[in-house]
Amino acid sequence: MKRITWSGLMSRYPAFFALILLTFAVIVNFILQPNMFAEDTLNSNMRVFLPIILLTVGQAIVILGGGIDISVGAIVSIVNAILATRVGLEGSSGAMWQYVAVCLAIGALAGAINGYFVAYLRLQPIITTYATSFLYAGIALFILPNPGGGIPAIIANLYRNTTPLGLPAAFFVIAIILGLWFFIRSTRFGNYLYAVGGKAQAAYETAVPVTWVQFSTYVISGLMAALSGIAITMLSGSGNAEIGAAMTLNSITAVVIGGTALSGGVGGVAGPVMGAITLGIFQNIVSFAQINTWWETLVKALIIVAALATPGIINLFRRRT
Amino acid sequence: MTLSLSAKNIVKRYGGVIALSDGNLEINSGEVVALIGANGSGKSTMSKVINGVVVLDGGQLTLDGSPVHFASPQAAKNMGISTVFQELSLIPQMTVADNIWLTREPLGLMGMVSRKAVRAKTDELLALFAGTFKTDLHPDVVVSELPPDEKQIVEILKAVSFNPRLLILDEATASLDNRQVQRLFDLVGVWKEEGKAIVFISHRMEEIFRVADRYSVLRNGKTVGAGHIKDITENDLIKLMIDKDSVFNYSRAGVNISEKPVCLEVRDIYSTNLHGVSFDVREGELVGIGGLQGQGQRNLLHSLYGDISFTGTVTFNQKPVHFKHPRQAMKSGFALVPGDRAGEGLLYIRPILENFQLPSWGRYGFPLKIGNAKKDAEQMGTRLNLVMASLLDPVSSLSGGNAQKVVIGKWLMRQPSVLLLDDPTKGVDVGTKAEFYALLTKLCDEGKTILFYSSDDEELVGLCDRVMVMHDGKLQTELVGEALTKENLISASLGVAHGGAP
Amino acid sequence: MKRFTLSPPVAALLLAVVLFLLSGLLPNGYGSDVQVAISQATNILRLSVFLGVIAAGQTLVIISGFEGIDLSAGAVVTLTAILTYVIVSGANEKVLLALLVSLVVGAIIGFFNGAGITYLKISPFVMTLSMAGVVTGAIIVIHHGNVQGKIAPIMTRLIARPVSPGIPIPNALIIWLIFGVLMWLLLERTTYGKHLFAIGVNRVTSKLSGVNVNGMNLATYALASALAGFGGFLLVGNTGVVLIQLGQPFLFPSIAAVAVGGTLLSGGKGSYWGTMAGAIVLTLITSLLTTMQMPDSVRRMVLGATLLVLISIYGRQRALRQ
Repeated sequence: MKRITWSGLMSRYPAFFALILLTFAVIVNFILQPNMFAEDTLNSNMRVFLPIILLTVGQAIVILGGGIDISVGAIVSIVNAILATRVGLEGSSGAMWQYVAVCLAIGALAGAINGYFVAYLRLQPIITTYATSFLYAGIALFILPNPGGGIPAIIANLYRNTTPLGLPAAFFVIAIILGLWFFIRSTRFGNYLYAVGGKAQAAYETAVPVTWVQFSTYVISGLMAALSGIAITMLSGSGNAEIGAAMTLNSITAVVIGGTALSGGVGGVAGPVMGAITLGIFQNIVSFAQINTWWETLVKALIIVAALATPGIINLFRRRT
Repeated sequence: MTLSLSAKNIVKRYGGVIALSDGNLEINSGEVVALIGANGSGKSTMSKVINGVVVLDGGQLTLDGSPVHFASPQAAKNMGISTVFQELSLIPQMTVADNIWLTREPLGLMGMVSRKAVRAKTDELLALFAGTFKTDLHPDVVVSELPPDEKQIVEILKAVSFNPRLLILDEATASLDNRQVQRLFDLVGVWKEEGKAIVFISHRMEEIFRVADRYSVLRNGKTVGAGHIKDITENDLIKLMIDKDSVFNYSRAGVNISEKPVCLEVRDIYSTNLHGVSFDVREGELVGIGGLQGQGQRNLLHSLYGDISFTGTVTFNQKPVHFKHPRQAMKSGFALVPGDRAGEGLLYIRPILENFQLPSWGRYGFPLKIGNAKKDAEQMGTRLNLVMASLLDPVSSLSGGNAQKVVIGKWLMRQPSVLLLDDPTKGVDVGTKAEFYALLTKLCDEGKTILFYSSDDEELVGLCDRVMVMHDGKLQTELVGEALTKENLISASLGVAHGGAP
Repeated sequence: MKRFTLSPPVAALLLAVVLFLLSGLLPNGYGSDVQVAISQATNILRLSVFLGVIAAGQTLVIISGFEGIDLSAGAVVTLTAILTYVIVSGANEKVLLALLVSLVVGAIIGFFNGAGITYLKISPFVMTLSMAGVVTGAIIVIHHGNVQGKIAPIMTRLIARPVSPGIPIPNALIIWLIFGVLMWLLLERTTYGKHLFAIGVNRVTSKLSGVNVNGMNLATYALASALAGFGGFLLVGNTGVVLIQLGQPFLFPSIAAVAVGGTLLSGGKGSYWGTMAGAIVLTLITSLLTTMQMPDSVRRMVLGATLLVLISIYGRQRALRQ
């Protein structure tokens, strides 16, 4: 006789809640926007969601490993600033791809700096990456003091309008990322990640290279933030050094509603990806619900608070009954 | 496979607390050495020295004839040393199989972990304990869902999976039932044959005599005796463990408790690890709670104190009480001296003054009359013979015994009528222990009621009017008067019904 | 033998003096003109007041431990500044009402922060950051692009001006000193203060010693936001105008100021004197960078690096191997 409990369900399928929420969001969105599954609409939605999805994947890996990365938004800004100033609206495609490589290296470096302070110097992750987020945001602003610049329109259009097999390019990117994740998940590193996030002391006693694992999660997160920055630059085609500022909280919220606990060691990456899409759809819904522009920020913020609060409210309710 | 390891004159300090001052151990292939000692004598620290978890402050480790220095647990593992940790080194959120093979997962295609191989290898290991599990223990169960005994077995299997030359079993039998212990000992026999060396740490004398070839006794961080188990009797071993100075002359034999009114009636307490506990306590009575560690003693005290929710009734001075928060218990005159001094009893980085006054600040008005608070704390310090430089120094500057005085003093400041004590003399030096005993008897003479759990059997027998022995969340036996002897207490602790006990 | 140690508030104050003396050497510094130096020092102290008051609530939540932090403080400052501006509308007699509203609105926001953190177990960082978003949303609704209002003459007189033309001490500084004494009373001479330090060190010990840990947590976040609300009230009294981003620039420095003042970021130890000294140091750094005509970007980098250095010094966690 096996009793099905909420906690049992959640611990076995942490993304369960995210799936319910995503289904609900899709249904509501479909009612408001019946053509949402048309090729054009789907693509225009997915290309908007992709940057935050990429960011969320990195955040989820850091959080799984028992940390958190507040600086991801600022890394996005740095990447955007670099591309917008170095490549330029009139730049060549060659220069673009060159700087894409530079940006990936810079993302990894920024992540490595976070990882060094958190893993090797053993500083608190939240406050440390908060400090570096200020440092990185300053750098982004230094590179691009005022919004402007951009990337060649060809590149931006490549990002916006590529639909292989009639499906948004974002689908393929997500598929590749999830494939990579499931691969990593089944390597030794995957096990280490869960062990370190679950109970670092026990992992250490079992001779897991705890410090190295923690360090590498920040490097991965930095890389993913750089990818996210590249994607958002291609989406917007222009430069704005504040572009990533609001994205950090969204990435954390997406991880939380994706069933990956902030305490680490529980959950995965697929759930957070669903969480990120759900958040994106919610924002869609807000704009379709024809809410007064003045109220939009407030409504979006309330949605984030509600999303963050839901697991806690369910827990409270469960304890009462 | 052969191994010989010796540890000589090992010193280890944690902050200001000396855990080992002169630890020695020698072990060779094919033998079981029992590492014995009272609580806080340094057994666990000794095992953490051998397996590289802690950094030595002094002394020398020699492995196979040459000096070694383990830079990490990894280094010790590579030399074939594996440990069953007392506080389990399992990751709660991971499965049994993932836990056992962590860092040595069999790899398959493209460096991916072969789940099939992991499962198969885990099944092989689980077969060693087949038939002793209460649940359907399979490789894919998440460890946090297992009962304590099966977690313990997974921890043992994890250590064994390294196929070590030296296996350290630190209190590995504490949560196992008799059948599981028997199976473990059968396996230990096999491993010995294979040439493994085994360090066996346990409180249970009977087990030590069953399984060990040699012994090594630690007392207050020093190795005070070693030899062949067949050359020593249980009594002599116990004598080695106990300080000769700790003579009990606080016998309360002359006190006639039965005339005093019952002040605390406890009926049918059910809670986590408590399966129906009922008893009465009289005013001025010093009631001991005994039994092996982790039989629900802590939960009983914490339930009465309102820290853990429970069902059942408690009547205090003829009035029913059911505390929902320690605050309510405190206001009704209850006090709890918790078992984990650093984690539950003290604010380590705060001044001694604030630790003394934490429950009592409300009495000093607004703005707080700090002068009065200091004076009261000063008096309490003097009363308890507290050795300190200044009330404003942090508690972390005190020795273990003095820090424990602060925990007790903090409650005495409120003059409680019921004191709940959770192993208060753990890791406390002999001199301070004697002071505690005197203090407790004096408090009872003043009419305070004391419920006193201790992991030190001698203390219970010497000090208490009556001892209730707990086993598996229930009161197993009650020992009083003539029946209150150490032998009876030990046999009752092990769950063996004693003919002479009521 | 006692090792010579400097208490963090004193060290921070010394740092401020050294920084100030060095600032005189800058090409456009005060040079050898004592009169200018004094007026510059006074001005920096006056500007420190606002950061100092906003950092008061931050000090409380950081002392309360368990990664306690209030990232909604900046938004609360903006909100209450706007509310004050609108309510007062130039009328002296409405000032008290505006102050009261600022405190209450702050306390309500803080109460929600505390409830989310205490009962829904949302980490303080995430909870207060998302609350900052909500408050910002509310600000946009209230501000509506161009809010109508005006501060009252009495506010300018009491906050922005010196005591009297003959005594060039700014009134704001006097308010801050009184505020500092009250904060000291709260932290060191009330049961609340003692319990706050206790929960910051060890919540289990605190609960077992009868401290209402949940209540303390709620009260602390509510109080912290109420203090940020007071900060907003003071700030608008000084600036006289409101902007939608009025409070935000104070947020990061408020955390850095607490850290500079020697309050443990892990909780349980600290003082408001330290935070006051920290606020002066940070205001000084900011104004130094302005004097050197450094852009906003460099200011952010310097602030970020400063905090990083501080936590490297104070913020180490326990090593895995002992």
